[in-house]
Amino acid sequence: MNNQSEIRSTSADFAHLNRRSFLKTGLGGALFLGTVSVTAGLSGCSPAAGTRMDGSYEFRFLTLDDIQLFEALLPAIIGPGLPEQPQARRMAIAGTIERIDAGIHNFGPANQKELRRLFDLLNFGVTRVTVARVWSSWPKVTNEEADAFLKRWRTSSIGLFNNGYIALTKISNVAFYGYEDFWHLSGYPGPPQWAVDALPQFQTA
Amino acid sequence: MQLKDRITQGLESGWKVTDGATLTGNRTLEADVVIIGTGAGGGTTAEILAKSGLAVILVEEGRLYYQKDFKMDELSAYPSLYQEGMSRVSKDGAIAILQGRCVGGSTTVNWTSSFRTPDVTLNYWTERFGLDALAPDAMAPWFDGREQRHSMEPWAAEPNVNNDILRQGCDRLGYSWHVIPRNVKGCWNLGYCGVGCPTNAKQGALLTTVPGALDNDAHLIHGLRADKLVMDQDRIDHLQASALTADGITPSGVTVTLKARHFVAAASAIGTPGLLLRSGIPDPHNRIGKRSFIHPVNACVAEMPEKVEPFYGAPQSIYSDHFNFSGGVDGPAGYKLEVPPLHPAMASGIIPGHGDTQINNMARLPWMSSIIALLRDGFHPDSPGGTIGLRDDGSPYLDYPVTDYLWDGLRRAFHTMAEIQFAAGAKRVHPMHLDSNWYTNWADAKSAIDQLPMERHRVRLFTAHQMGGCGMGANPEESVVNGFGEHHHVSNLSVHDASIFPTSIGANPQLSVYALSARNSARLANQLKT
Repeated sequence: MNNQSEIRSTSADFAHLNRRSFLKTGLGGALFLGTVSVTAGLSGCSPAAGTRMDGSYEFRFLTLDDIQLFEALLPAIIGPGLPEQPQARRMAIAGTIERIDAGIHNFGPANQKELRRLFDLLNFGVTRVTVARVWSSWPKVTNEEADAFLKRWRTSSIGLFNNGYIALTKISNVAFYGYEDFWHLSGYPGPPQWAVDALPQFQTA
Repeated sequence: MQLKDRITQGLESGWKVTDGATLTGNRTLEADVVIIGTGAGGGTTAEILAKSGLAVILVEEGRLYYQKDFKMDELSAYPSLYQEGMSRVSKDGAIAILQGRCVGGSTTVNWTSSFRTPDVTLNYWTERFGLDALAPDAMAPWFDGREQRHSMEPWAAEPNVNNDILRQGCDRLGYSWHVIPRNVKGCWNLGYCGVGCPTNAKQGALLTTVPGALDNDAHLIHGLRADKLVMDQDRIDHLQASALTADGITPSGVTVTLKARHFVAAASAIGTPGLLLRSGIPDPHNRIGKRSFIHPVNACVAEMPEKVEPFYGAPQSIYSDHFNFSGGVDGPAGYKLEVPPLHPAMASGIIPGHGDTQINNMARLPWMSSIIALLRDGFHPDSPGGTIGLRDDGSPYLDYPVTDYLWDGLRRAFHTMAEIQFAAGAKRVHPMHLDSNWYTNWADAKSAIDQLPMERHRVRLFTAHQMGGCGMGANPEESVVNGFGEHHHVSNLSVHDASIFPTSIGANPQLSVYALSARNSARLANQLKT
């Protein structure tokens, strides 16, 4: 893809991003298509392996900015589901972000592009403030501010924000509640043990 | 004994199975018939053609997963077995699309419900689309045959509590209900159909028709994406395909050219119209990708006084058609009522929320029950369906506008589901809508549902049944294929999947696809052998 022309066209759209045009384009669901990729060049660096947990996980989609975004959002999305003990809490958040990254890799190029636009919109300072109405950069956002942002997008009359809310919470909830370590929070005992014991695919050679 | 792994045995016996990820150089292969897709349609077609002695190549974009991979775990199954890693949505993001992407297609991950095409639907097709040969009497032998091939029987064991709630609620309200026929053999009643059957009980394409084809010398290439059917004058000359690396997503750069006398598209109601559009298949009346149907689904969850454990047991065993055809075939939108399984990831994805609210909801999962309503779309002028289009990268998308006609049906469905749940003893009920709360009695729920804004994103919508987009019909001006799945304009192209349905089915579609594909493949085999 030609980066220059993409940046030019997105900048032009960006200049017209005010509430009125937003409402107009928002109804078509097309806002992310044109406006935010301008920031991809600013935040498109992958974090170095080894910065999270034991460093064995290599991020394939999320950038350092995206990781900071989820570090700010997960305490509001998962809330009291996260452990209180600081080290366990850090591990739970880091592991969930890794599973989000792995999941997004399997979403394939088209939906990755949509998410890139969403994350860039939230990470780029100007759009974070004007569109998401989040005043601080994500590492400085409090739990209450993150929760207020999520509630704004959930209750907004603009379908595009509802869609963004669903995207952020769904990928987070699935990566968190679907993971074995947190099954107990939904009272799920896991696959029946008698079946696990009887089935060949669970037997280690 | 269902633990005998048919796939491992077949591979050891020398089946011709190629993993696209292992291909290192471009190549050209040739067969009598190239079939794109290995789901309900492609598998059936492959077995029938291969058994008739034709040389068959099966092309599958997804990868080959079988018992060794099926570990009853959502987080490993959804990314590998579903389209777009379970993230597929309609163009506006408002409808989540559940669709398989693996050998066996959606039959590898479906919940095993096996319904014949309702007579009402077949009769409507006869009258409206000139499909006289598809009248119920003519189709009956094909349903019989496929019911045997896939071991379809009404579920003989007790329904799990989740399904029993639908049964009890209907009973108390005088609404009809029935037991669902399932395509299983020696089912352990575990509840993990949606993440790949761990016990080889499910008789989907993966363990029936695909092995049947491979036993008869068919060649399966998985991890291979069908890019384009290339025409030479008025016939298709070859299929151009791209091999994918072991992640199942990234093209390796290796291309495969597949030449054949005949081509069968069976890549699903999203994949097949996408392939035909990418290929520039003659379409003088602009019909490819039109009239796309999805059985739009909404859901209502309930907290029950007793434990439901909605993650265990055969996921679907009871249904109600009480509201499906009651308004007439082309009256106000009718809906079929069924039950979804709720495992933690699925439940947390279906129930929209965050923070305290979400964890409090999730904590009640063992007591949670859900009903889903599947709307019958495509029978009324105000339900013209959606459109399949192509993104810049050539991948297909579904654009599905929800019309007022459908919103009306969805609101009535919310009413019915909540009413049934309270009748079955629910403590509280929660329609899946961003503006809904828990309601503790039917009167409150009723008036709340009356007020809920029926809008995109706010109503949580799903589809597990993609149909249409290459509709069949007698008149080429309003259809893509004839009543035998034969393309109106390209003589060596057939379509054998759910995309040929001219409306939705009004029931889970797998048996409709199996039966029509079997019928159309028997005819195709005869034509190609002479």
